[in-house]
Amino acid sequence: MSGGEALLGVPMHIRDSSQREAPENVASITRSADFEQLALPLLPSLYNHASWLTRNHAEAEDLVQETFSKALRAFDSFQESTNFKAWIIRILRNTFLTSRTGIATSRTVFLEDHPHVLDTTDASPTPEDNLIRLDNQGALQRALEQLEPPLREALLLCDVEEVKYKDIALILDIPIGTVMSRISRARRALRQLLQPQLGESQ
Amino acid sequence: MTQAIEHLSPDTLSAFIDGELPTGEQEAIERHLAGCHACALRVLSATQLKAATARAGRRYAPPPEALARLTAQLHHQPQATTRIRSIRRMTWVGLAAALLLAVSLIGWRQIHETNSLSAELLDQHLSTLSSGAAPQVISTDRHTVKPWFQGRLPFSFNLPDTQALPPDTTLKGADLTYLKGQPAALLLFTIHKHQVSVFVTQRSAGPNLITLPSARSGFTIHSATTHDLQIVAVSDVNPADLNALVAVLAQVQSSS
Repeated sequence: MSGGEALLGVPMHIRDSSQREAPENVASITRSADFEQLALPLLPSLYNHASWLTRNHAEAEDLVQETFSKALRAFDSFQESTNFKAWIIRILRNTFLTSRTGIATSRTVFLEDHPHVLDTTDASPTPEDNLIRLDNQGALQRALEQLEPPLREALLLCDVEEVKYKDIALILDIPIGTVMSRISRARRALRQLLQPQLGESQ
Repeated sequence: MTQAIEHLSPDTLSAFIDGELPTGEQEAIERHLAGCHACALRVLSATQLKAATARAGRRYAPPPEALARLTAQLHHQPQATTRIRSIRRMTWVGLAAALLLAVSLIGWRQIHETNSLSAELLDQHLSTLSSGAAPQVISTDRHTVKPWFQGRLPFSFNLPDTQALPPDTTLKGADLTYLKGQPAALLLFTIHKHQVSVFVTQRSAGPNLITLPSARSGFTIHSATTHDLQIVAVSDVNPADLNALVAVLAQVQSSS
């Protein structure tokens, strides 16, 4: 636990006389001060990710709120050496999955690597690889909305939250190879969704 | 064995731009890219898509009210974990505070409808007594408390040394608060086991404290002004002791 002490923002002399009868109080207060320090900077990220999952402001706020209280209760099981961001996003996601929206979403069958999608894995470069417009933020957002949720989730964790594959695997509870193929599929799907724009007369 | 690299497969390309490939493979691809214009273009395009996704995906910012609620939730979490341990003391304090509040409410209604500031001060003092939530900074040391306010308040103030405080007066912690919509430092002291709330505000921006009554509902309110600060203390301790604390706090402001 001495490693934990060093991380605490509050110096040791907080153990003043009024706290003496309950040292556990001080420990849990500083522990949760610790939690606050770790969680506060992630608030915008968690809210953004929660909004992508729930697609609703009020639900996103509730989800983050529930995540904070669950995470604090479980904070003793958090190991200092692990990635706090991945740890708390995993809690957020598991909380989402047990919500009504989450249950409804998970009913949709997602085909992991369906044969049809595999036919695009031909390695030779196609002109479409390069021909997409990225200057239109709105179009990209609409394309992201159209992605299948499991693909979108993996891609957002990678590109927006900058979580490493091994931690995404932990968050989504899938093998690292699946993380890799979902992200790759998500990008190919985005390209396809962004394609027709060029074809349509504008 | 030069296993000549074919054009990059989409999965490899994707993992490559994410920096997720083992070093050996990463280097092999870099060599391939040096000679393959088509793949180099694909890598460039993939990198652009990644950057654009990062921008487009950062789409939902919490509305100010939601942000405030969630931040407040994080601040007040300590209470949840300490609840079991200190429930008995908190019940007692809460009961006493509720009683005080009830008595004082009757008092306020009748006499001081107008002076809402002293009501707010007393309210805040009572809520620190009754909530049982730990202040954000728990420390007896001015060297911890003072820097904590940096960046949280649009002004700065000095705190006296422990030895400079009047006898049996202890700094317990501090919190950030608002008085009449202006940010204020809330310093928590005890004098002979009586809780004291001291509010420090900016003189120019803060509410005018000079007109405050010196007592309200059995609590003493003492204030002092310095060149640019206003200091006001609320407690049920005897007025002379409270005055001594306020005097020390006011004095230390000019001594830097």
